[in-house]
Amino acid sequence: MKKSLTMLLSLIFVTSALMTGCGGNNNNKTTNAGEATNAPDATNAAATEEPVSSEPFEMTIRHTQVGADKQKRLAILEDVVGKVQGEVPGLTFKLDGVDSDVNRKEKLRGEMAAGNPPEIFDLFGSPDSKIYAKESKLLDLTPILEELGIKDKFSNLDPFTYEGKIYGLPIGGSGEGFFYNKGYYTEKGWKAPTTFAELEQQLADIKADGKVPLAGASKAGWVPLMLANHLWSRYAGPDVTAKFPTGEAKWSDANVVKGFSKYKEWIDKGYFKKGELGFEYAEYTTQFTSGEAILMYDGTWKSSVFKAGQSGEGMIGKVGFFNIPPVEGGVGDQTALMRDVNNGYGFSASVADDERQLAAVKSFIKNLFNEEMQLRGLVEDGVLPAMKIDQAKLNSSITDDLMSEIVAVLNSSQSSFPAFDSLVQADVTTEISNIQIQSLIGGQTTPEKMGAALQKVQEEANAAVE
Amino acid sequence: MLRNLKKSLPHVVLLSYLLVILFPFLFVLFSSVKKDNNEIALNPFGIPKEFVFNNYVEAWVNAKISTYFFNSLYISIFASVVTILLGAMFAFAVTRMRQGKWNGILFSLVLIGMLIPNNALMLPIYTIVRKLGILNTHWALIIPYIANAIPFTIIILAAFMRSLPREIEEAAVMDGLKAQGIFARIIVPLTIPAMVTVFIVNFLGNWNEFLLANYFLSNDELRTLPVGMVQFRDQYQMNYAQMSAGIVYSVVPVIIIYAILQEKIIEGVTAGGVKG
Amino acid sequence: MNKALKNPLVFTLFVLPALFLFLMFFVYPIFSSIYYSLTSWNGVSDTVKYTGLTNFKKALGDERFWISAKNNGWFIIFSCFVQVPLIVLFSLLIANVKKLKGLYKTAVFMPAIMSTAVIGILWGFIYEPNIGLINKIIGLFGVDPIYWLSDERFAMLSILITNAWQWTGFYIVMVLAAILSIPGELDEAAKIDGATGVQRALRITLPLIMPIISIVIMLSIAGAMKAADIVIVMTKGGPAGSTEVMATYMIKYAITNFKYGYGNAIAVLIFMFTLVVTAFYQLVIARRNERIEY
Repeated sequence: MKKSLTMLLSLIFVTSALMTGCGGNNNNKTTNAGEATNAPDATNAAATEEPVSSEPFEMTIRHTQVGADKQKRLAILEDVVGKVQGEVPGLTFKLDGVDSDVNRKEKLRGEMAAGNPPEIFDLFGSPDSKIYAKESKLLDLTPILEELGIKDKFSNLDPFTYEGKIYGLPIGGSGEGFFYNKGYYTEKGWKAPTTFAELEQQLADIKADGKVPLAGASKAGWVPLMLANHLWSRYAGPDVTAKFPTGEAKWSDANVVKGFSKYKEWIDKGYFKKGELGFEYAEYTTQFTSGEAILMYDGTWKSSVFKAGQSGEGMIGKVGFFNIPPVEGGVGDQTALMRDVNNGYGFSASVADDERQLAAVKSFIKNLFNEEMQLRGLVEDGVLPAMKIDQAKLNSSITDDLMSEIVAVLNSSQSSFPAFDSLVQADVTTEISNIQIQSLIGGQTTPEKMGAALQKVQEEANAAVE
Repeated sequence: MLRNLKKSLPHVVLLSYLLVILFPFLFVLFSSVKKDNNEIALNPFGIPKEFVFNNYVEAWVNAKISTYFFNSLYISIFASVVTILLGAMFAFAVTRMRQGKWNGILFSLVLIGMLIPNNALMLPIYTIVRKLGILNTHWALIIPYIANAIPFTIIILAAFMRSLPREIEEAAVMDGLKAQGIFARIIVPLTIPAMVTVFIVNFLGNWNEFLLANYFLSNDELRTLPVGMVQFRDQYQMNYAQMSAGIVYSVVPVIIIYAILQEKIIEGVTAGGVKG
Repeated sequence: MNKALKNPLVFTLFVLPALFLFLMFFVYPIFSSIYYSLTSWNGVSDTVKYTGLTNFKKALGDERFWISAKNNGWFIIFSCFVQVPLIVLFSLLIANVKKLKGLYKTAVFMPAIMSTAVIGILWGFIYEPNIGLINKIIGLFGVDPIYWLSDERFAMLSILITNAWQWTGFYIVMVLAAILSIPGELDEAAKIDGATGVQRALRITLPLIMPIISIVIMLSIAGAMKAADIVIVMTKGGPAGSTEVMATYMIKYAITNFKYGYGNAIAVLIFMFTLVVTAFYQLVIARRNERIEY
């Protein structure tokens, strides 16, 4: 009895000593954690595992390919994972799927603060990657890209570039516009609208017909903001959002407010699905594929849903895509399309300390960022290539109608602009997506007040010196 | 007649309250065996004509209930047991050992801990966990869980130990036992009933904890049941039938445990509430 | 007297592990929060810049912060003025029925042992506008669907109802225990004097259970100040931030907006508010109760 008590006490002491070593050596921590594998803890992993050997080692990939609609993208990633594991002896990848918005705004930010992001993770280009790069949390990819000779193959790396170095790679591009129910349009004898008045007439007619003109799912603010963003850019110019952080333009400018007002007008006319503030993004697609909503403003990535075996299978061949038509009195290029190459992969800076991990990252980049995978992304998943690809090759690989319609829209737009959240500070993004746009939808604010409130946050953010 | 009415009125009120409590569970249970949202919409209250058990199969696979369940189970049990051990030692020292004013000072210090709204401490705890290098391991939950329950555990156990007569350890000292011996052989066995109570309270607290579990773990296979369920809900929100099956999975074990330990649980949790 | 129990070394060994954890997870975090609340640290950077009381000024001048503080207030008000009367009523009823007492007690307590997260999911389904239970019920009476969680007018109320649903039974069982521990003679004596059931409940039982009601209120306040998980699960603070509470506001700033220093300032404010509310309650209300009683 006495013996066991001594044992117990010493056990407690070991435990407390372990914890006193705050920030010290905690390598033994996983041993009793059962299945707690603790892979992302790269710094410790380096200490416990012998470098340069074919001894098994693990790396984590944080991806956002979760849920039924993203299976194709997951399949591509899984193929790449398989190839890399074949090339790097001993490597096992662990795939960790997290919802995109949660990963971007909570998980990854927390992990970055903690200094233990996964080795490979889904990364938002601007402004996220720049903040992390500034704090040296990201692996500088410039030498790897030079070694692989693909540095100049990307059409635009700006969102991932900080002080001349590249810290992330876009997986693909996207453009945003209206998906429309072709079946319904044909039945009515309509075509995709070419003028704004025509679009508004169609919305009114659909409403009168007892259908929902526009899908709505605004529990997460970024969903309604896609359309709102495009509208204010039509009225105030495609480059207006970029001018907010520099102070050259204001959210409260009359033309920007005009964009909000148009959005508000559509809300008031009941064009959006009722109760939209309570719906998640997943619901958005369902409203459209079920035929309940006739139009859905969304990114080109959504085209992957309308393929065999996916949730929009029943609508194959019955979906079209168009850009927002020019608005009367709008500033700047009225064909401008909202396009982003802002989503991709980044790598933890800690990878540089471990040769084998670095080799794995190189192999990952080589196998994921190449023509073949980019084309696969386009064909299977509707993701526009982020790398330059021979036009003829591109054309020959597009087989379905929706994709060719999307490409036609891309080609007919003369310029493009990125979405607001890659241009303004995190505070402003939070303010507009968590508060303002939902207030506008809920009727608690007016377009004018919204502009003023946003401008206030914008000015505070502009003034703040990090 | 009037007398009868008077007698049954309380039951009418109470039974309607009971209905409010139980109907949501039944609603979920019925929904979980319906084919899809449409069938729930058409026949929201009743038992479905046709039982669809496929939802349970799908939910089990999609929601990885078994993984989350066992994570929650072992984290909760382990943390609760360690808390009781450490808490009992502390309570024993401050109630039965004679260290003059130190007894009172230490005990009051811990009492203050009960007043601290621990959600507000989430950010610094996050920093501690990260400095310990245990973020994204189960230790990131276990250690804070142990610590969080310490004030409550000490207060209950100390109250119980105080009520034990002094003569007990005097006899033990005569027999030549040291403090450790008195603790392990005399006090602990006598305190078992209070420990069971405390264990139940701590276990439920850990089992249900959401905030830390949501922010301190990121790997899917490490997640606990509450977080796993929320994630499952976010991904399969449009399929309510399947979601209901998920809810049933996560609720049934708790109800079974409750059915068995009902008296103990009620006694424990309310004691926790009163003392807290 | 007995040396064995006076050994300071053994005393220290017994006290130390728990004390260590307590200091590390209760005391240190408080000081750490206060320290960072005076900085503009973004949570990622290696440099921490001291900014004095700027964060506090900003928080106290931010309408959004006050909305979230007000929502914590709603939790308190709802539990004091809606839940507590119900709790007392139901406890008295259960205490006075002869049959089914056990069933009532067991059943009403059940929600209290379940995870708030799961209850949030369950109620999210019940509030669902198209197929949810509540709209289906009110639909029977011809009422149009209400968008419970997405309509700013109803969202907070919906959360409060869910919260009450989860905790009312828990408090009922507490109050019930107090009622049942009242000596039967008191009640018998009153009965002989010809007092009706209602009179007895109001004149005898109620004053005697005042202390436990006071505890119920204290616990509700403590719970209200901590509320976060139910909001995160049910509405994520939306629509338009209308259901945000202080704890979720803190998390949003500290993590989502890269404002760790500011988030800690909110933590300190939560702390201070809790102290003020608790002290206020103890001094003004709890005291008076005691006087009435003894």
